[in-house]
Amino acid sequence: MRFVLHRLAAAALVVFGTVTLIFAALYLLPGDPAVLVAGENATEESIARIRELLGTDRPFWAQYADYLAGLAQGDLGMSFATQEPVTVRLWAQFPSTIALTLFASVVAMVAGVLLGIVAAVNRGGWIDHAIQSVMLFFTSMPSFWLGILLILLFSVTLQWLPAIGSGSFAQLILPMACLGLVASGRLMRMVRNSVLDVLDEQFVVTARAKGMPHRLVLFRHVLRNALIPVVTLLGILVGELLSGAVVVETLFARQGIGRLLVDAVGVKDIPVIQGAVLLASISFVLINLLVDLSYSVIDPRVRAEG
Amino acid sequence: MITRRHATALLGAPFIIPARAFAQGPAATPRPGGELVFGLDGAAVASFILDPHDSGFAPHNRVFRSIYDSLVVLKPDQSVGPWLATSWEIAPDRKSYTFKLRTDVTFHDGTKFDAEAVKVNLDRVARRTGRPLTAQIDIGPYEGTDVLAPDTVRVRLSEPFTPLLRSLSKTTLGIISPAALAKHGDAIAQNPIGSGPFRFVSLVQGVEIKLERNPDYRWAPQGAAHQGPAHLERLTFKNVPEESTRVAAVQSRQVHAADGIPPQNVVSLKSNPSFRVLEKELLNLNYTLYLNSRKTPWDDEEIRQAFRLSLDLDAAVRVIYLGTTPRAWAPLSPSIFASAEKQLAGSWKPDLERAKQILDAKGWKPGARGIREKDGKRLTVSFADTQGNREKRLDVIQFIRRQIARSGFDLSIDSQPNATYRQKLTDGDFDLSGASQFAPDPDVLSRLHLPDGRTPASVAKTDDAEISQWLRDGQREGDVEKREELYVNVQRKLVEKVLAIPVYVLLYTIATTDQVQGLTIDTHGFPEFHGAWLKG
Repeated sequence: MRFVLHRLAAAALVVFGTVTLIFAALYLLPGDPAVLVAGENATEESIARIRELLGTDRPFWAQYADYLAGLAQGDLGMSFATQEPVTVRLWAQFPSTIALTLFASVVAMVAGVLLGIVAAVNRGGWIDHAIQSVMLFFTSMPSFWLGILLILLFSVTLQWLPAIGSGSFAQLILPMACLGLVASGRLMRMVRNSVLDVLDEQFVVTARAKGMPHRLVLFRHVLRNALIPVVTLLGILVGELLSGAVVVETLFARQGIGRLLVDAVGVKDIPVIQGAVLLASISFVLINLLVDLSYSVIDPRVRAEG
Repeated sequence: MITRRHATALLGAPFIIPARAFAQGPAATPRPGGELVFGLDGAAVASFILDPHDSGFAPHNRVFRSIYDSLVVLKPDQSVGPWLATSWEIAPDRKSYTFKLRTDVTFHDGTKFDAEAVKVNLDRVARRTGRPLTAQIDIGPYEGTDVLAPDTVRVRLSEPFTPLLRSLSKTTLGIISPAALAKHGDAIAQNPIGSGPFRFVSLVQGVEIKLERNPDYRWAPQGAAHQGPAHLERLTFKNVPEESTRVAAVQSRQVHAADGIPPQNVVSLKSNPSFRVLEKELLNLNYTLYLNSRKTPWDDEEIRQAFRLSLDLDAAVRVIYLGTTPRAWAPLSPSIFASAEKQLAGSWKPDLERAKQILDAKGWKPGARGIREKDGKRLTVSFADTQGNREKRLDVIQFIRRQIARSGFDLSIDSQPNATYRQKLTDGDFDLSGASQFAPDPDVLSRLHLPDGRTPASVAKTDDAEISQWLRDGQREGDVEKREELYVNVQRKLVEKVLAIPVYVLLYTIATTDQVQGLTIDTHGFPEFHGAWLKG
């Protein structure tokens, strides 16, 4: 329990730090949001009025304090650009990004873990080499380029899958494969190395020596121990997938928080940028919290020490 | 005997004949119904602004034409013809325009279009309270509108403003239902209600816009390819910002048509009988490069000359656009009234040696890595940019970078988010930048080159008494020929003094599957879906 509380406190601190950092960065960045909101033909007078309306004429600390006060009440403010509540704009886009990130991590996990195990078990054989080369190909490829290739193959040539839009599961397949496969390469290598390490451990040799079936050794002893470093990587991976979503959402013409963020940065829509970053950092911290907690399930030693 | 066909061949085929015009045989009967899905080159924006008065963004304006009608229409010969206004009279002092209006037009919400609607719309565009709208500049010195009768309005100006009629033909001055404006205010951008051939159904921000046929539509302008309600039952715009995805979506028939087709695909789609490519010049202030004439050394005309003499734009445009789009000589695209394209074609040639001589004479001596230096300062050119490789513009800049390196310029690309970019332009913290602006009237030049007619973030910093005078006279001049001469003078001087370096003429491109018929591009260069239909 203390372990969980400790972790939660740390997580809150990370989110707070991120929010503060982004706020400061946006404040320091050149460009007056009021000028952008006011548009091309604005007079000095109307710009001043908008500045007042947006509250960007006040000193940094006042704006920051106001923002935190709003945040404490769950109020993320109004979008500078569209005058809609930020929460409305975020919730319109977030489910699509969540779906993409989750399914992409499933692709990454299934491909990475399975192929990692297969490669490790066939260490040095042709299967191992084949898997490693294919995965190297995916890892080194920018998601953008892989996406175009997937579209050309599955959408244009074979005409199996839609290339654009978000909504149906069919529309999710290519983007999630694109994002997931790029990420799966590193996961595969991690799993392979970690399985190989465990395979050389004394207790595995012992288990085999006492005549335990090969498959049972692998699942009961090897995988459970090999999984711990992999789970750690998974936490980082979700963060990578979230940031990768920016590119993939644009390429596949999907809705999503990534596109919203790019758009908001362009017009310096500070409340929306803040909201999107807040949401992303909370998701990231939450995933990593789950990862930390899952150690104690996978590995009782963590519980004992915690 | 020379037949007409021979004559055409001898004359070098002065008409551009649609590649597939012959293959279609006799005109097929349009089939009503169905949904046309259009892949829009809408950039990675997360919000659609469907308020015609409040978006100068071309992709949004391509949607407006289906929802909103205008008072007048721009005809292919660049003259203005009747639409919601059936006729008009210009007062002798040219400070007021009296329009007779159609009386049979209703908005999508069932309310009637009348003189009051015109007044509400124009007053809104000119509003002095709240946030100024982007279309404000289109109505110039607007003073007010008087409702003379339900079908008659008088638009008053504080001084003559000749661009007004052409401005009124723009999508940006589309007429919105006053009832809807009263109800939604500026949120009309998400609840658009006009009188156009299609009415709004729903939108998913940044992703798609769904429209359906307006069954009551009977007021297409004279000379339109189709009269009466649209053939299509539904029209859906999907925003597909990435060009390769957009093309793939057409090729795999996930959309019926898409715009913003990159040159390499224009070439290949044209040769494939399953697809068609529509192309039309966008009435545009061409994509033009501007040296910051307020900053040293660019305030020196000879240095600007040296920069331009180092450029081979013919080669740049040919290589980057694969011969799909012409190189521009004049600031205004060739079809706009008063474009000086003919007068300026071939007006200068690249001359590397001359460029080097000028730079030598001005004390810029070759230094490390061939980059010229003077008083310890290097001859660097910072190209400010915010739009990325839209229309392959950064590819052009990269090409130019290598060209000008030969005479000792060192160009770097300074890519910034929009806010920072505009701040840099306002502060004059850049050497070179580029821009284009769609417009039907040559007065668009004053938005860049008239010091009190442009925004502080303008990319052009021209400040020339003669040019300013010509531009002001052009706004007031009523005589067509005199007006043309004024703008030709402006363009001549801009090019002569290297205050503008036009690069290419943008052809607006649409690729369609062979299922799509009757899709057209209007005189402005925007798509028209009113007469479009789908083959069974």
